[in-house]
Formats: sequence, C-alpha cells, structure tokens
Amino acid sequence: MSNVAVSTRPPEPRPRSGPAAHQRRGRPTRHRDDGRAGYVFLTPWLLGFAAITAIPMLMSLYLSFTNYDILTPWSDVEWIGLKNYERMFGDDPAYWHAVKVTLIFAFIATPLKLGAALGVALLLNRSFRGSGLFRGLFYLPSLLGGSVALAMVWHSLFDRGGSVNAVLGWFGVEGRAWVNDPDTALGTLILLAVWQFGAPMVIFLAGLKQVPTELYEAAEVDGAGNLRRFLSVTLPMLSPVIFFNLVLETIHGFQGFTSAFVLSGGTGGPVDSTLMYTLYLYIRGFANYEMGYASAMAWVFLITIGLVTVVLFRTGRFWVHYSDGDD
Amino acid sequence: MTAPRLFRGLMAAAIALPLALLGACGGDDDSSNSGKTELTFFWWGGEARAKLTEQALALYTQKHPGVTFKTTWQANQGYFDKLATLTAGDGAPDIFQIDDNYLAEYATRNVTEDLTKYQDSGKLDVTKFPESLWKYGVVGDKLAGLAMGENTQGLVFNKTKLEAAGQELPKTGMSWADFITWAQRAGAATGTAGTMDPSADYKAFWVWLRQNGKDFYTGNQLGFAKEDVQKWFELWKGARDAKATPTADVIHEGNATDITKQLVVTGKALTSWVWANQMPDIQKNTKDELGVVAYPGDPSAQWARASMYLSVYRGSKHKDAAVDVLNFLANDPEAGKILGTDRGLPSNLDIRTSVASSTSDPSMKASIALEDELVSKFGPAPTVPPKGHATVKTELIKAAEAAQFGTADPAKAAEQFRTAAQAAISR
Repeated sequence: MSNVAVSTRPPEPRPRSGPAAHQRRGRPTRHRDDGRAGYVFLTPWLLGFAAITAIPMLMSLYLSFTNYDILTPWSDVEWIGLKNYERMFGDDPAYWHAVKVTLIFAFIATPLKLGAALGVALLLNRSFRGSGLFRGLFYLPSLLGGSVALAMVWHSLFDRGGSVNAVLGWFGVEGRAWVNDPDTALGTLILLAVWQFGAPMVIFLAGLKQVPTELYEAAEVDGAGNLRRFLSVTLPMLSPVIFFNLVLETIHGFQGFTSAFVLSGGTGGPVDSTLMYTLYLYIRGFANYEMGYASAMAWVFLITIGLVTVVLFRTGRFWVHYSDGDD
Repeated sequence: MTAPRLFRGLMAAAIALPLALLGACGGDDDSSNSGKTELTFFWWGGEARAKLTEQALALYTQKHPGVTFKTTWQANQGYFDKLATLTAGDGAPDIFQIDDNYLAEYATRNVTEDLTKYQDSGKLDVTKFPESLWKYGVVGDKLAGLAMGENTQGLVFNKTKLEAAGQELPKTGMSWADFITWAQRAGAATGTAGTMDPSADYKAFWVWLRQNGKDFYTGNQLGFAKEDVQKWFELWKGARDAKATPTADVIHEGNATDITKQLVVTGKALTSWVWANQMPDIQKNTKDELGVVAYPGDPSAQWARASMYLSVYRGSKHKDAAVDVLNFLANDPEAGKILGTDRGLPSNLDIRTSVASSTSDPSMKASIALEDELVSKFGPAPTVPPKGHATVKTELIKAAEAAQFGTADPAKAAEQFRTAAQAAISR
C-alpha cells in the first residue's frame, strides 16, 4: 500500500502461468484476437460515448461556426465562419461581464471551500465519541449536490424576511435582502458553494489517514510543535490530495449553474450580478435562440477550463510532493 | 464461428439495434390506414387548465371517434425551452400553445403552419371573433396562431387593505401623476407600499408609450427613443423617492412573472401590474379581496390582446385534423362552456356572452367587467411583437433594475436598454 491516495506507481504485472500462458506461446496469432474481443466488450460504452458525447460535441463545434437558432432546420443553417467568436470577444459586454462573475465566483469559492474542507477534515481526523456521526453530518450538504431544492432553501434563508436576518437581528445587526441585492447576491452563491465542502473533505480525511504516524513521531522528537508538524509533515504529505481536490473543485467552480439559475429565476439578476458563464450560455441558447453563439461560448469555455487545468498541472510540479511508497 | 466473424456480427447488431429503435420512433404516423389519428397537444398552465382542456378534448373525441389526443402540459417556466428543443428535433407537437412573446420567433422561422387557407375555406371560422383579435395572430402576412382568448392590461389592487384604511380605490383613467400621488398616500395610510414599480414591465411601458403618441414597436423596428425610456425611468425614480413603491430588492422579487410572486399576492404592495385574465388566479393566492382597473392614463392606449394562441406545427402529418380541433375549441358552444375564461375571455363573442352570464366566480366577473368597460375604448391593436421580443423584455428588466438599485442613472440605463433592444431585434 502506498502512502497517499493518489499513487503514480504502475500496477505490477501479474505473473503468467497455467494453461493460458502455454497456449499463448503455442499460438501467437491468438494475441490480436484478444484485443478485438476487448473492443467488442467495450462496444456498449463506445456507442454510448459516441452517441451522447463525441458526436454531439462535434456537432456543437460545427454549430459554433453557424447562425443556428434551434427553430430553423439544420438544412437551412448558415455557415458564418468566426463571426460568433468575433462577436463574443469584441462586441458583447455581457459576455465579459459573465466571465468576470464566473472568475470571481471560482477564485473565491474554490479556495474557501478547500480551506473549509481541510480544516474540518483535520478536526475530524481524530477518534472521539461520535466522530463518525459528525463526518456524516458534514458530508450531508454535498450529498444534496447542486440540487434545485437546496438553492430554493438558500433563497428563503437569505431573503429579507429569512432566518439569516432573524439571527442577525438578535445581535442588533440590521439585515438586508441578501439574494435580491446586486451587492450581495453573488456572495450568497459563494457561501452556498463553500458550505458544500463535504466531498473534498472526505477525500482529505482519507489522505490524512494515509500520513504515516512515524513522521509525526519523528517530527515530535525533533521538537516540532503543532503548527510546524502541520506545515512540514501534513501539508507536503497531503499535497497530492490537495492538488487533486484543487483541480476538481476549480473545474466545478467554473461550471456553477444550478444555484445561480434558481436563485435568480434564470435571469442572472439582480442587474446581472449572478450571471455565471454557463447561465449566460443557457440564456443565449434557449431564451434568445442563438444556439450557434451558445455553442461557440461552450467551446471557448471548454478550452479555457482545459488551459486552466494544464496550468494547474504545470504549477503542481513545484509544490506537489509524491512520496515513493516506503512500505 | 471464428472471432472476427463474431465481432462483425456483434457490431452489426450494435449498429442495427439503435437504428431499428429510431425507425420505430418515427414510424407511427401515416402508415396506419385504419382511420385513427392521434394528435399531440402541448400547453403550459396549471392543473385547472389541464382538467378543462382534457375535458374539452374528450368531448371532441366523443364527436370524432377517429381522433385521439396525446397531451403534455407543464408550468410556464421551461415551457419554451422544451418547445424549442422539440422543434429542433423535428418533433414539435401537432398543436401547441404559444403567446405573443414568441409567436413571431416561431412564425418567421416557418415553424407554425399558415392558417390563412383554412380561414379562407371556412374550415377555421373566425367570423365571430373581434377583428383586431384574430388579426393579432397575423405575422407578416401569415395567420400564425389562433387567438384562444382575449385579455388586456389590468391593475390589480388590494381592496381589503385599502378599505380598512379608509383609502379611495384606484380608478380607470386617473393620470400617472395622480396615481403615484395616490400610491404614496395609500402606502402611508396602510403601511404597505402603494404600488409595485412597473418600470421593468414592458406592458406598462408599452401603454405609457402609446399614451405619449409612440409605440413599443412600429413594424419590426423599435417605436421609441432613448429619451422616452429615460422619461419613463425618471417617472418611477420620482415614485420611489416619494416612497410610493417598495425598495429595489422587493421590486426585484415582483419582477418575476410568476403569479405567486406578484407583490399584491405576497402582500408587499397594494397594486400589481398584470393581465386582466390573470385576476382569478391571483385572487386564489390571497385571502384579501382584490379589484382590477385599467392602467393609469388614457385607457384607449390599451388594446384587445390575444392572451395566447394555439398554433399548428408546419411539419405535422395531420394538419387538417389539427385545424379542425382548433376550430372546435374556439367555436363549439359546449367546448366554450367547458374552457370558460381560463385562457382569457373567449375569442368567439357569442360564447363570450354566454360564459359571462353564467360564471359565478367574482374575480372572473371583475376581469370580464373590466374588459366590457374597456371594449368601447380600446385603441387599435399593435402588430405582434417581432422576433427578439423575449430578449427585449429581459433587457428592460435588467436596465430598469440597474436604475432601481442605483447602479446606473436613468439616462445611462435608458441608453443601455435602447442599445440592447436594438441589437436583439436586429438579429
């Protein structure tokens, strides 16, 4: 067993023995057939992948160069070259606004969420009575995921007459209509995202369990305090898990849609304050019937997320520490 | 069987199976010669509408046993997403409900069947309709939808609260300035804001424009200038400053189209700006007694609007049958009696008279009374809003809210809206 959840070691080849190995030696042509049989077994998946992922994606790439508007039949769709892309970058202020909102959301929500996840994981990473219960409770919000019901509950919590204002009232703080105010609406979305830190927390917990206790013992012998042990042992040993969570949650952050859709009633309001990229894409495609433009937006989005992920991987080299298993 | 042959066989099966399934999906139409026709029918609305519609359709099947229906209905939110998606897949329903926000989008792209030839041949009878009403279904020179009801702008007010505070009730024909003064006074007396701020509401802006000699659209162009929008936004900025309206965040809630979110329902304002035929539904959502009058200013700026239409899909295999159903729903006295005023006042005037005399619902009576009162005053109907109208509507909300929250002054918000609206209808 390696020390961390994410291992880069290839699995060891299984020793070949028995009749199968003998047969193989005797009939070398059989080798190729095995590969084919593999594809046969993969066929259902491949068909599904082609039909509901690959082909639609390629179609949307094609559509991004057209003026497709959903209602016009495909045969009448006009090829307009790069016009959608030109308009997006040069002639659509709302587009850049949506980019800004999404970046603010992703760059604030992701670190806060990871911080909360790591913090709570550290607290729960010791055995005390009821620790299992607490782990379950903290994970619960993530189970609800991007659900519509949750966003609606959030809406009523942060409304003018909501519970949040009631609690603030006990302390003499005057509340406001958090979700209906352009200054704070995005903040409530960020808070909702951060609150759902259960998934990265569970992964952190698994990672923490993998840190060998000898390292802590050795550090203690060397006179390292709590903070020192956290910085010099926990963090480096946990860095592959942090990296994994960071990549996943960053992508997740960029893709935020449901909560923004529900909290703003599908408009991105008030005054575009919650106009996330994917929501704007949806509005363009389904409310304005500019599916060609929406497809172009989707492709820019895909490429951007790809690039961000590449950048994360590049920087990862400098701070992610993969310990070789010394078991 | 050798392995490659097995592989080929499996591949063939894997490819053939979905194709066979696809074929099965598309094969349910003309191939059946038994005289049975199944029409697909899609509308938005609540449970009450579903019940009434199903009942009326059952009556049709009873009279024409060869025609049955496959109905689908859902809430208004998401309805047009689904309709667009169905259309994209060439699977639009034979008959679907649509309103003037989207009619031009569908008609200009030839999704809707041009009903003119059925009208000419008498298979679709609109002779009992007010002329302006059926003409409000004409886009370009095509009859794109059959008006299934009539409505007009209605200002709904909370009678109970106003009377309890000894305030006078709003009246049809009061000027905008008087109305705002009234709202300010009534708000102070009742402790509830006097009126919802309608600056984000296209239909209120539209009436106001017509009273000022302009229009929302003239043909396929915008019928107003930046200055008009600015004046409109400033009018309501004055009202907000005078505390005649609630605060911007509450107005934002009221800007949702949901009936249950209207401020007169949630108790956050004494009046809301709606369509008169929504009155019974709004009344169902509040215990207070409501009343309805026309929007402020000269009521002749209002017009008989088709509350919604039924359209026939151009790609339908059973267009003749579908048109006959439309004709039945609009003109058959029994069907008219079943449907009532759920989709607006019945388009057929004979049916309208009989429904009006037999209804017992007081809020339905109130909305009928308003229409009756206005019928002689109605101005000419404008043309159906052009393609891009749905976007124009949301752009107005965006700009008006920017002015309400103070993130832009009325001049800047007006500029922003005029530019965005122009872009939306030029696409």
